[in-house]
Amino acid sequence: MQKTSAIPPSDEAVVRAIAGGDQESLRLLNSRYGNALAAVAERVLGDRADAEEVAADVLWQAWRQAAVFDRSRGSVGAWLMMLVRSRAIDRLRARAARANLRDDPAVSTDAPDATFDINNAQRRHVVQAAIAALQDSERAVLELAYYSDLSQSAIAERTGLPLGTVKSRIRSALIKLREGLKGLGD
Amino acid sequence: MDHDQLKDLLPLEALGTLDGEEARAMAAHLAEGCDECEAELRAFREALAAMAISAAGAGPSDQIWRRLESRLPAGAGAASPSMQDRPAERTRDRAARIGVSRTWRVAAVAAAAAAIVLFVMTGNYANQISAIRADDSARIAALGRQARELAAELDDRNRDLAVLRGQIAVSGQLTQAVLAPDARMIRLAPLAPAPSAAGLVAVTPSQNHAVLQVAGLPTPPPGKEYELWWIGAKSGPVKAALFAPTAQGDATVASTLPPAGEQLLASAITLEPAGGVDKPTGAMYLKGAP
Repeated sequence: MQKTSAIPPSDEAVVRAIAGGDQESLRLLNSRYGNALAAVAERVLGDRADAEEVAADVLWQAWRQAAVFDRSRGSVGAWLMMLVRSRAIDRLRARAARANLRDDPAVSTDAPDATFDINNAQRRHVVQAAIAALQDSERAVLELAYYSDLSQSAIAERTGLPLGTVKSRIRSALIKLREGLKGLGD
Repeated sequence: MDHDQLKDLLPLEALGTLDGEEARAMAAHLAEGCDECEAELRAFREALAAMAISAAGAGPSDQIWRRLESRLPAGAGAASPSMQDRPAERTRDRAARIGVSRTWRVAAVAAAAAAIVLFVMTGNYANQISAIRADDSARIAALGRQARELAAELDDRNRDLAVLRGQIAVSGQLTQAVLAPDARMIRLAPLAPAPSAAGLVAVTPSQNHAVLQVAGLPTPPPGKEYELWWIGAKSGPVKAALFAPTAQGDATVASTLPPAGEQLLASAITLEPAGGVDKPTGAMYLKGAP
């Protein structure tokens, strides 16, 4: 699979190629999502090196399980984000039981998948506009819920808000976000 | 709680933040197969993924690729992950990584460390459990809720550990296959009918046998058995073995070898009438490619 083709392969086509054992397609998936995977994990874990390890774990899982990816259950992006959030939270819990932090900061210099980035710039703009349309209070509680390992009750305790307010803000924020993304496709 | 009340809670379910009675009611409702709520849940999860991806921006990381590349089979960039690529080296790598992240598994490995074979087997089983947890989003969501309660999490891990130990105890036959110089592994991933199941086939042509190990399969209904298939490029599905798991869902089964000279595309397990059939007719429970 070539990065230079006029029409970049869809995420689903990339995953199909990975299922066939194509390592270049795995590299392409990394160029599309590696940074986002590491960013989510870093937000959860607060450590870049751990986050890159989690991102690599997720892509390794994608390599092994590409054949059973089921598009009807969600997009490739949603699949990968679900995996990384779950793995990062698992690691956070494991870390809570062990004081075992590493410090290995790293900066990416790999060439980006430029065509994909250009094609997705508009998509990102729409998503960011939908996020910007949220009230600050809604965005804050939504991000706290997404990037932490907290239940709604724990969020209420952490923020000092009534549980009902936490629930209504999360609900309102996510409904607005979903509505803002309608028609975007994936 | 009724459907409308639970539908209102779907954004919180998408985030995995429900707890207590609401979490239990949601799990029960989704387990019943409410298509409307499943579709809503998918839409909320897509929106959350879009938020996370947008926040980070798409882009590469050569650091991630370097970590990943070392795990891939050596050779051409577009090389197929052949069965020969699979055994000891990668297994050891997985076992090491899992060991770092899960203290209790380290303990399980340490207990078995006197024998290399147990090390290899434990790595495989630990990896299967890892795959089980990751493959099925519903199971992950359920695990996420359970894990917030420390006692429940402890029970869960103890159960997994008991399964691990049980599998190691009955894996003598599989161990022989794994130790053979030409052993090849096919990991079977769970499909919708049994999202918690996992399987591993070890093929050793030099010893003229293949062995299947499965865990987490539901007890077949009366008059039904599971059937293992080799799926070849030319032959299509070829019957490999018939079996019924224990009450715990485990089985270790001797199988025929894949057809000689055939390019093996996959191996799979389906539920079939007792006594078996020549071509698969029932639901597929596990599948994996060499």
